[in-house]
Amino acid sequence: MAEAGNLMSRAALRSSVGTAMAIAHHGELIQGVFKDNDGRLHRGLVTLPITGLRSEASFARSDGDAVVVHPDHKAKASAAARLTLDFLNVAGGGELTLESAIPVGHGYGSSTADVVASIRAVAAAVDIPLRPSSIARLAVAAERASDAIAFDEHAVLFAQREGTVIENFGGSLPPLLLIGCKANGGIPVDTLQLPPARYDSAEIQEFGVLRAMVARAVRLQDPYLLGRAASASAVISQRHLPKHGFEEVAEIARRAGACGVQVAHSGSLLGLIFDLFASNLKRRAALVAQQIRRAGFKDVEVHLVNAEGWTW
Amino acid sequence: MVTFDVDYFRDLETPRLARLAPNLVAAAFPLMKLMPARFILDRAAANGELKAGSHIVETTSGTFGMAVALLAAARGYRLTLVTASTLIDARYKARLERIGATVIALDDPRGDGNQPGRLERLQEILVKEPDGFWTRQYDSPGNWLAYARLAELFIRALGKVDCLVGCVGTGGSLCGTASFLRSVFPHLTVFAVDTHRSILFGQPVGKRMLRGLGNSVLPKNVRHQLVDEIHWVGAYPAYRTAHRLLREHGLFMGPTSGAAALVARWVATTLPDAQVAVIMPDEGHRHVETVYNNEWLGGLPGWPCKEISEPRTLTTIAPAAETQWTRFLWLRRSLDDVLKAQAAGEVPSAVGAAENL
Repeated sequence: MAEAGNLMSRAALRSSVGTAMAIAHHGELIQGVFKDNDGRLHRGLVTLPITGLRSEASFARSDGDAVVVHPDHKAKASAAARLTLDFLNVAGGGELTLESAIPVGHGYGSSTADVVASIRAVAAAVDIPLRPSSIARLAVAAERASDAIAFDEHAVLFAQREGTVIENFGGSLPPLLLIGCKANGGIPVDTLQLPPARYDSAEIQEFGVLRAMVARAVRLQDPYLLGRAASASAVISQRHLPKHGFEEVAEIARRAGACGVQVAHSGSLLGLIFDLFASNLKRRAALVAQQIRRAGFKDVEVHLVNAEGWTW
Repeated sequence: MVTFDVDYFRDLETPRLARLAPNLVAAAFPLMKLMPARFILDRAAANGELKAGSHIVETTSGTFGMAVALLAAARGYRLTLVTASTLIDARYKARLERIGATVIALDDPRGDGNQPGRLERLQEILVKEPDGFWTRQYDSPGNWLAYARLAELFIRALGKVDCLVGCVGTGGSLCGTASFLRSVFPHLTVFAVDTHRSILFGQPVGKRMLRGLGNSVLPKNVRHQLVDEIHWVGAYPAYRTAHRLLREHGLFMGPTSGAAALVARWVATTLPDAQVAVIMPDEGHRHVETVYNNEWLGGLPGWPCKEISEPRTLTTIAPAAETQWTRFLWLRRSLDDVLKAQAAGEVPSAVGAAENL
């Protein structure tokens, strides 16, 4: 009896397949260096998630030790699956298959989305739910630096190289409309080749102010404060990874009454942030999109953040 | 959630935020100078300038000296404060010494604070002590950088800040808070509060009755181009406003806080749609024998004076009586530019933020 039971559960395990997905982002609202409660400095960021683009992963467990990944160049996703199996104390390996619509190299977080989807798929295959904080830590272990997409739309200040939360803002970002585009002719950036930015004392002190802005913006669901924080972070980013035409976009944003401008701090993305509930938004957005295209920016797109089915 | 900070001085330096009017919030500090003092010592310790047991020196007899004394006591540094006999009373000197500081009070035959003599003595100490560290509150960027924390506290509590009102002595608190707030709110209007016969904003030097406000030398940390309006508040209206803070708001603050509150209340009334933040730098304890003592007040010539509800707008910078409150539109200019314009007899328009908004 006991033997038969064991055999049955092993057979059930072998056939289990987990599927999961992870969303992309549009770079960061703010990124810099932040103090923890003990006054120590950590590199950190607040991710701007977009649900329209996603990576989907499926993981089929197998008895063999190996993790096989398709497409086979997604080594970080494969490493993430391995780390997750180890973390969950599960023997064996499996076959990991990824399908992603997220463009690579612009700051959409395609790599982290693959990694997070993979971790979630493995967890689903063994039927053990993981906390976002554990997923985030595993993601950093798999790819050295990772964004906060494991937390989905929940706003956190995330230490991207340590996998820890510096500050949990306790809610979601307010509903936003984002008009995104690519600077620098839309040429992809190899983020791992970028040296980490060296910030001066005044910049580090300013990051504390931007963090306070985001905290307040999340607490009161204020897109305008959020936009100002993003703009200030983008201005600092210009000193470290300049984007051609940033001033032009900032001027278009100012004239259009946008809440602010955000950037992918290690990518080519630029985004104009609008309050989703602002008046005449459709007309204004169309006008702004046209102006950005005329100014020579590539791939102008509209994204909704936390829109909850709002038809704008 | 209650957590212990590793450094409890961060709690001690944190102001209480008090709403004085629907559009006016005050940061009421127990001892504001802890904020720059802690920041300067932390930075110096991190970059190796300040070592275990180092000897800290500074030329102050004010609240910055008190703040460094408390930190030095808790962290095991030696501290020498060089001041002038005319600037420090026996009671404050005794308080500093009880904390463990060495206080050198130099003779001051000219009655101007003898700053050259103090700097000379400070240099003598530094030459003799290889582990000496001078906090340099007048010139150290650490002084203004520290106030990013105050900007954060205002933002977490208020969101958008339209107007900032604060006293100027070294320039650290007002210019630091203003530059960080303005990086996110470019429209921020900055109201600096000084006192008659302080040289910071172009007045001729003279005897000041209001201690802890203004200066007779110009610190580098005063950045004039951040300032939209300068207000000179005399001792009498400052005292009266300190009394009002206690009677109407239950806040026991020093007279410089009174000066700031006087200007802030006027700004908040004049601009009812603006969110106004005011910095109040210290409590009233040091002034119980004077500002909060009817006998002492009764001995002042002309006390009690009548209450002033608005400043007199100057077109030419000039000192006024201690009963007066004056205002000048600085318009984010450098000191040089303002002095040149004054010398050329240019009369500025009397329209400032208060008239425009």
